[in-house]
Amino acid sequence: MAKKTIRNIPKDRTAIPTQDADVRAHNFLEVSLGYRQEDAAVECERCLLCPKPVCIDACPVNINIPAFIECISKQDFRAAYDVLTESTLLPAICGRVCPQEDQCEGVCTVGESLEPVAIGRLERWVGDKAIEEGWFNKPFIEPNGFRIGIVGSGPAGMACAADMAKAGCDVTVFEALHEAGGVLRYGIPEFRLPNHVLDAELENLKKLGVKIQCNTLVGRLFTIEEMLTEHGFDSVFIGSGAGYPSFMGIGGESLNGVLSANELLTRCNLMGATEFPKYDTPLGLGNKVAVIGAGNTAMDALRVSLRAGAENVYCIYRRSRSESPARLEEIEHADEEGVQFEWLTAPIEILNDGNGNVRAMRCQRMELGEPDASGRRRPIPIEGSEYEFEVDTVVYAIGTNANPIIGQTSKIALNKWGYIETDENLATSINGVYAGGDIVTGAATVILAMGAGRKAARGMKAYLGIRDSESVYESDETNGKNKLFGIDRSERTFARVHVA
Amino acid sequence: MSGCLAANSVEQETMSDNRYLFKRGQTWWVKVAVPRSLRQELGFDLRQSLKTQDIDEARQQRDIVLKEFRAQIATAKKQRDQGRACKAVAGEGFEIIAREDFSDVTYLLEVKAPLLAKAAKPGQFVIVISHDHGERIPLTIADFNVVRGTITLVIQAVGKSTREMQQICQVGTMLHSIVGPMGIPSHLGAQKVVCVAGGLGVAPVYPQLRAFKQSGAYVIGVIGFRNADLVFWREKFEKYCDELIICTDDGSVGVKGRVTLGLEMAMDKHADIDRVVAVGPPIMMKACAEATRPRGLETIVSMNPIVVDGTGMCGGCRVTVGDGIKFACVDGPEFDAHQVDFDDLISRLGRFRKDENEAMSVWKKAVGAV
Ligand SMILES: Cc1cc2nc3c(=O)[nH]c(=O)nc-3n(C[C@H](O)[C@H](O)[C@H](O)COP(=O)(O)OP(=O)(O)OC[C@H]3O[C@@H](n4cnc5c(N)ncnc54)[C@H](O)[C@@H]3O)c2cc1C
Ligand code: FES
Repeated sequence: MAKKTIRNIPKDRTAIPTQDADVRAHNFLEVSLGYRQEDAAVECERCLLCPKPVCIDACPVNINIPAFIECISKQDFRAAYDVLTESTLLPAICGRVCPQEDQCEGVCTVGESLEPVAIGRLERWVGDKAIEEGWFNKPFIEPNGFRIGIVGSGPAGMACAADMAKAGCDVTVFEALHEAGGVLRYGIPEFRLPNHVLDAELENLKKLGVKIQCNTLVGRLFTIEEMLTEHGFDSVFIGSGAGYPSFMGIGGESLNGVLSANELLTRCNLMGATEFPKYDTPLGLGNKVAVIGAGNTAMDALRVSLRAGAENVYCIYRRSRSESPARLEEIEHADEEGVQFEWLTAPIEILNDGNGNVRAMRCQRMELGEPDASGRRRPIPIEGSEYEFEVDTVVYAIGTNANPIIGQTSKIALNKWGYIETDENLATSINGVYAGGDIVTGAATVILAMGAGRKAARGMKAYLGIRDSESVYESDETNGKNKLFGIDRSERTFARVHVA
Repeated sequence: MSGCLAANSVEQETMSDNRYLFKRGQTWWVKVAVPRSLRQELGFDLRQSLKTQDIDEARQQRDIVLKEFRAQIATAKKQRDQGRACKAVAGEGFEIIAREDFSDVTYLLEVKAPLLAKAAKPGQFVIVISHDHGERIPLTIADFNVVRGTITLVIQAVGKSTREMQQICQVGTMLHSIVGPMGIPSHLGAQKVVCVAGGLGVAPVYPQLRAFKQSGAYVIGVIGFRNADLVFWREKFEKYCDELIICTDDGSVGVKGRVTLGLEMAMDKHADIDRVVAVGPPIMMKACAEATRPRGLETIVSMNPIVVDGTGMCGGCRVTVGDGIKFACVDGPEFDAHQVDFDDLISRLGRFRKDENEAMSVWKKAVGAV
């Protein structure tokens, strides 16, 4: 075949089949149906297989992107999956929820003149294929007698658990809620990340011998210190997330009808409230819902509200669309589904109907001034622009703070915002205890949390003196110059693969 | 979300020939729900891709796969039955080992949960789910016993979920799940303390009262009931109280009047009380707060807002304390009574009244029909 160049590859990225906006706005089924094999076959031809791929460095876990795409071209899908799982534990999940436009796709060479290669969609396709085919790379595991305790079953905890189990440790994950998965379970809705995908990934974790114990509130049932002493864990990883929603402190926040996005999403995703009274948990959503904020959480809250039957759903954000931190695709989808955006608007008070319920919101228009510390233009209120806005439900999606329980119950060092302090290997102030994910960095992304879990696992292995011996790991010739998250690409995380 | 899947399968079952089949993308899959008792072993359901887009082929394949799935479930059931005997010994699962009914609305469950019993401290609560469609119900720990490895819950059957639990939670059954202990334990360290409890259940204050006594404090208990017939745990309270004042609405036992009357009596008699603890319905706690405010007496109340996760993740349990908002489940549940905005609490507790009534009437109809 002739060498691929920017001129002879398909110009447009292959469209992904999606449910029609007016249909999907009323169901919880997945919005984008995913590539079919023929779509993947076309899209993978758009990758130029650059000799010096920039996308790899832009991926927080350094997936060898050209390699897996090349495997798809060669129709060796199983090999594509193997390449992915060298770096990521959750391809089917990350392919769906990563902000690819800021990572791999943002630097893609093809993207300089055409649309970038749809790396995320290809990753998802391979991940889904693996689930469908039941592929799983079961490593050769030699038990080494170490016991590892993991706090929290979100992406950080899952990634750390997998790596420690592969190294031969006896791993138990403790989760406070009654179902595992962290934000992937209670936060991100079914239409964006179906439960069966998460279940499949958790199932793989169990196949590595990881035990997942739900309904266990670490800190209160036993402390981090007790895990090391009484419960005999040799090392502990804390990935308890940043779920402690913020409110603004404006008037009327304790009215009925004001809630956090986390509450709304938990009621729907974890508790089945959209099917009340078949499920016991009520939702109590009104008809005119305003969601404050424009991140991924806000988009999820908006779109869940639509699906739960709200007639008018408004997104209130004090900056403009281009400053919104949500994934591009989520904003587009929300827009198509009928979410009404009020950009450059900030609430200043929530008004009472006289019976303790929300009647309306008083808002103010903003304009953008000089860039602030984050590099985004600072919103400035416009004098005299206040107006009343009739709503019956106000949902806060303006971010979260550190969950305080571990800090309340342990001597572990926290920074001034309550997040756990770690060194560059993610070791905390307690010997043998590591931490990573949102509880260290503040609310971030799935892939960063996963990267942190893996990095902590490396620290824990070093702490325990577990060496990545030849019997467990195959060496690989490619050099691992990029250690952005401490993950050396030359290290294979599995060896002696038993191909199913 | 799991709810959505279940709903789909119901729809499909009505199209009888597509039973157990569902489509993902273009491909047909087969899915069978796992009996609730086996979900720990097998997961929520068993599913497999039939690797075909053709419905007729899918139907044929389905029957073969179904047979395998059913065998798998049967094997798991056998294994579980064999393993059950040793599981109970290990203390896994949350078995209800004792139950007592104090009245037609108040009942007690003693639940086997050794780790919880060991960790529990006065003032803390647990969250219980009674079945897999259930809600997360917060309940104060009314007693715990490390030796027996149990915790005790005293429950008032007021809503749909607690009424339903009253029916299904019998000795020998397992609770679907229980998690805790949640909340910051009570702060002890007072010399002379009044513990007030009233409303339908007085049990939640008991662990605290006992702990005060054991810490060497002089303890005055004030407990309220509607009438003499509804009095329970009198001996338990007497054992740890230096003085016990029982108040009833009709005076059939103890003092006639509300618990605030008992509280006033105690405060009049003892000038050196250094703490008052009040646990009960918001209106009662508010009345206690007003009774002690003029005397400037340190007063602690235990907030009981609507709770979802109980881990600080949702903020559904927010309460207004002083100028700020607190999450009762992780910042409380105990707060300074003179700072708490009780009207706010009472209003927020009414947030789901309409839904609660609906759930109750649907449930009553369902139970009545059986
Ligand atoms: C609605 C929503 C949408 C999002 N969308 C995206 C997206 O599209 N793309 C993206 O990249 N990122 C997204 N994010 C961010 C991403 O989900 C998080 O950054 C990531 O999940 C953090 O992972 P984690 O493992 O650190 O914590 P979490 O996922 O928060 O998991 C922590 C787990 O620990 C448990 N836990 C906490 N305390 C204890 C304790 N004391 N004992 C036991 N268990 C405990 C919690 O119950 C939870 O299950 C979204 C977040 C939200 C809320
Ligand atoms: S119940 Fe969700 S934060 Fe308290």
